[in-house]
Amino acid sequence: MTPTPVLSQITPSRRALLGGAITLAAAGALSACSGPDGSSRNENTLRVVYQKTAAFQQLEHVLTKAKEEYEASQSTVAIELVPIEAEQDSYFTKLALMNGSPDTAPDIIYEDAFQIRTDVAAGYLRPIDEYVATWEEWNMFLDSVKDVGKGDDDKLYGISLGTDTRGIFYNKKLFAQAGLPEQWQPTTWDDILQTARTLKTALPDVIPFNMYASKAFGEGTSMQSFEMLLYGTQDTLYDTDTKKWVTGSQGFKDALTFLKTIYDEGLAPGLDIALDTNIGSRIATELLPQGKVAMCVDGSWLPGGWINGDNAWPQWEESIGYAAMPTQNGKKPGFTSMSGGWTLAMGSQTKNPQAAFDFMAVALNKDNALKYYTENSLIAVRSDIAEMEEYLTCNSSFEFFSSLVQYTHFRPATPDYSRISGSIQIACEDVVSGGASPEEAAATYDKSLVGIVGDDMVQAA
Amino acid sequence: MSAHSLFGGSARLASPRGRGLRVTATAVLLLIGIAFVLPLAWLVLASLDDAATLSVRLPRVWTADNFTEILTPEQTFRPLWNSFVISLGTAVLTIVVSLLAAYPLSRYSIRFNKGLMYTVLFGTCLPVTAMMVPVYSLFVSFKLLDSLAGTIVFMASTSLPMAIWMMKNFMDSVPVSLEEASWVDGASSMTALWRVVVPLMRPGIAVVFIFVFTGAWGNFFVPFILLFSSENQPAAVAIYNFFGLNGAIAYGKLAAFSILYSLPAVLLYVITQMRSGNSFAMAGAVKG
Amino acid sequence: MHQSPACGVPTAGGASRRRHTGRALRRELPLLPAVLMLLAFMAGPIAYAFYGAFTNRTMSGYKAVNPDFIGVDNYVSLFSDPDFYTSVLLTLAFLLGSAIIGQNVLGMLVAVLMRHTPRSVSSAVGACIVGAWVMPEIVAAFACYAFFHTEGTLNTVLDAIGLDGPAWLVTFPMLSVILANIWRGTAFSMMNYNAALAEIPPEIKESAQIDGAGALQSFFRISLPIIRRTIATNLMLTTLQTLGVFTLIFVMTGGGPGTRSSILPVLAYQEAFKFSQIGYGSAIATVTLVIGAVFSLVYTRVLRPEVE
Repeated sequence: MTPTPVLSQITPSRRALLGGAITLAAAGALSACSGPDGSSRNENTLRVVYQKTAAFQQLEHVLTKAKEEYEASQSTVAIELVPIEAEQDSYFTKLALMNGSPDTAPDIIYEDAFQIRTDVAAGYLRPIDEYVATWEEWNMFLDSVKDVGKGDDDKLYGISLGTDTRGIFYNKKLFAQAGLPEQWQPTTWDDILQTARTLKTALPDVIPFNMYASKAFGEGTSMQSFEMLLYGTQDTLYDTDTKKWVTGSQGFKDALTFLKTIYDEGLAPGLDIALDTNIGSRIATELLPQGKVAMCVDGSWLPGGWINGDNAWPQWEESIGYAAMPTQNGKKPGFTSMSGGWTLAMGSQTKNPQAAFDFMAVALNKDNALKYYTENSLIAVRSDIAEMEEYLTCNSSFEFFSSLVQYTHFRPATPDYSRISGSIQIACEDVVSGGASPEEAAATYDKSLVGIVGDDMVQAA
Repeated sequence: MSAHSLFGGSARLASPRGRGLRVTATAVLLLIGIAFVLPLAWLVLASLDDAATLSVRLPRVWTADNFTEILTPEQTFRPLWNSFVISLGTAVLTIVVSLLAAYPLSRYSIRFNKGLMYTVLFGTCLPVTAMMVPVYSLFVSFKLLDSLAGTIVFMASTSLPMAIWMMKNFMDSVPVSLEEASWVDGASSMTALWRVVVPLMRPGIAVVFIFVFTGAWGNFFVPFILLFSSENQPAAVAIYNFFGLNGAIAYGKLAAFSILYSLPAVLLYVITQMRSGNSFAMAGAVKG
Repeated sequence: MHQSPACGVPTAGGASRRRHTGRALRRELPLLPAVLMLLAFMAGPIAYAFYGAFTNRTMSGYKAVNPDFIGVDNYVSLFSDPDFYTSVLLTLAFLLGSAIIGQNVLGMLVAVLMRHTPRSVSSAVGACIVGAWVMPEIVAAFACYAFFHTEGTLNTVLDAIGLDGPAWLVTFPMLSVILANIWRGTAFSMMNYNAALAEIPPEIKESAQIDGAGALQSFFRISLPIIRRTIATNLMLTTLQTLGVFTLIFVMTGGGPGTRSSILPVLAYQEAFKFSQIGYGSAIATVTLVIGAVFSLVYTRVLRPEVE
């Protein structure tokens, strides 16, 4: 700390000025070298942002493979893999935080299809029509999923990594112990409740039935639970003809009442488990494999985590049975499902869109798509793979979940959906935790819905 | 952990009534102590348990595997290094800036200074966590997101009010007459600050340094909002991610990671205690 | 309090007013870095909070790029939202329960007990209490999460004495986080009070005892009034520290179930970053800042003599 002779000759004012100047210079330098290591927004480094959890590492495997292949194919552009280690809900938050600033926005994003319109509206994504136009493999993608990646402006922003359906997984061994048939297919919500009650009586230590209902589980609560119920009633979230959101529907309340019933009667997990941030991973890696949960509504990708990896469960096929989710009272077509899917999308701030697309094309090519579909247990969206023996035979659950496509629904494709979904999650958690009755929660939802989309964009059921 | 001199009482009166009081007091205090030690005991025991649960228990199989398995560059060393860089940067920047600021505040009574001291005092009280939403927006505008340097300057700024307040109080206790001697020698006031005041204030500076350093070391919310890429994330955020990723299964490793991460803060505290022999070094400086 | 003579150096004879001002400015120059940093990173976010609170900015969607200026709409919806009032009440309950009552009373109790216990016991217990305090906040949060978890230590202990513990974090979320914050923060009050009590001259107490005052009487009649300034200061400091608590609740309950443990900083985080409503979240932040400012003003008044 002793000043050098030269410095000590500077008058106090100069010295102080120097201090101020250094601080200012530092502040200036800060702005200049922002971004991780100051290396972002570099046309020779592409940042790929994706999700990784205890139960979901398959994408990382595919992206790592694609990175090696892409980097071997040329020598100028490097791929930087940036996993966000978080459950879905926190993944969206983190991603939105990163997208908030051009300097931290990713070049390539693992993007949930429903988030595309929202992020397009915010200007976070870049259209890729010009690139797919010359990409031969694009023709292999099913027409039905080509639209999934579109924004409000009808331009293409994301390419599907596979689609999914949702249904009921149940543990055949536990069913046998409870004296229930091993081949089981409920036809009404009441059937499910009766079965769950039987299980509860016969196997008091087992959680009979899981449907997610927490805010922490985010979009999964909306899609795997609430919408699986709502789309089995006579009502819907969004009227696609009038392009208006529905308020005050009986179906909305019925869906909430069903959730309330299973939680109040103790047919669902205790709230300490249900509201924990790790509920998704726990169901997939612990509760279902260990026979602690007898039935759950979940996505077709679930077996992906059991086939291999950290949480492999080689005997899963001996235990797990599948059933379609029935409509409320068995109304035609009798069953319902929800389909979504994730995409690879390009960030609007990328400095090298051609390279970004080239990498996406590698990650989505036939080899890698097959690897991803099979390892993650997804429904193929490439026609050349859907027919492959290797794909069809790799997983006994494919046949069942593919058969649900005929019953499936899609979430409303509007930029507001993600925020509205947040209000649905609040309603679900409030109802199951005793914070509100289904009627009150539905009324709160209606109010926040109007707040989000405005009075003129809603209609009464 | 803390030195014996910490909680020494004043002369105690020994009388029959006093003995009864003493027994009761000891019993109550022990109960309180047990309540306080249980959560800490879980951390320690779970970290040494090969099948840790959420409840405190003696491990059936004692093991150091939880520690050895997380000692990888990616999982532990990098986040700890980032924590170190952030904390050191924050502490050094805060010390330098607050020393400079404390000098005129301590030495010249100008009306502006009094106003500034009020502002500073006011600033020490504002809850930084309440500001994270606008701070995020501000960082977007400044293009400072995911920048270690930006995070350091922000954390230093938020520790400044407290640091200036403490520094000024320490500086007030350095007699101005010593500097006057050096002014006679023709030295400037800044020279006097570095040559005369700073050396006399070393213990005080050390207290502020440790105060700011441990504050930054333990900060979770700020880096959680402002830093994204894993190569920038400090241990506080890494450990939270670890919890989200493995929390349901790997309690033992979580506890082990927690202990490794807590050690520097605990050690710094113990060092302060041993040096000052005063339980109140940090808190007292805060009070002024 | 020591204060240097105004403008310590004798001014050169016949200095003009301008030169005088110039020197004053020069002397103030070392303040510049601090002032700049405080302006940019303390005043800046506060200004930004008030600005953002008047817009409908979101994290994504159309309003992320083109937010509208919507006047006081955010405040109107805030003040008509029952969740907001719940959150204000929870915040007050948290302040009152964990800081004003919990940490201060327990801290004082421990400080007093320590004066009547063998040194080995008081040192050991003191170390445990301080241990909870020197821990980084997120580690303390994990420890409390495990402690209050349904399968955690608390229920194991209750089980051992034949009681069936509830799911604390879900059934009594507020109680859990209040107890956790008491656990975490009591050390600070304990050390403050310990030091203050040690400074009371023993003669005063001895004379009280000779007058026949009991231990309780002597504590309330003599010790408390003497250290009242410490108590006031400590109350303010613990309150303000508690107002800023986020990590503890974020890890333990995430603010839930529902919003049943969402104190204002947690609510602001959720609205802004989880439900994408930056504007609305900013409005909540401003309310928290105002509450903090009120406490700060009181505190500033209490400490006024030290500035003068």
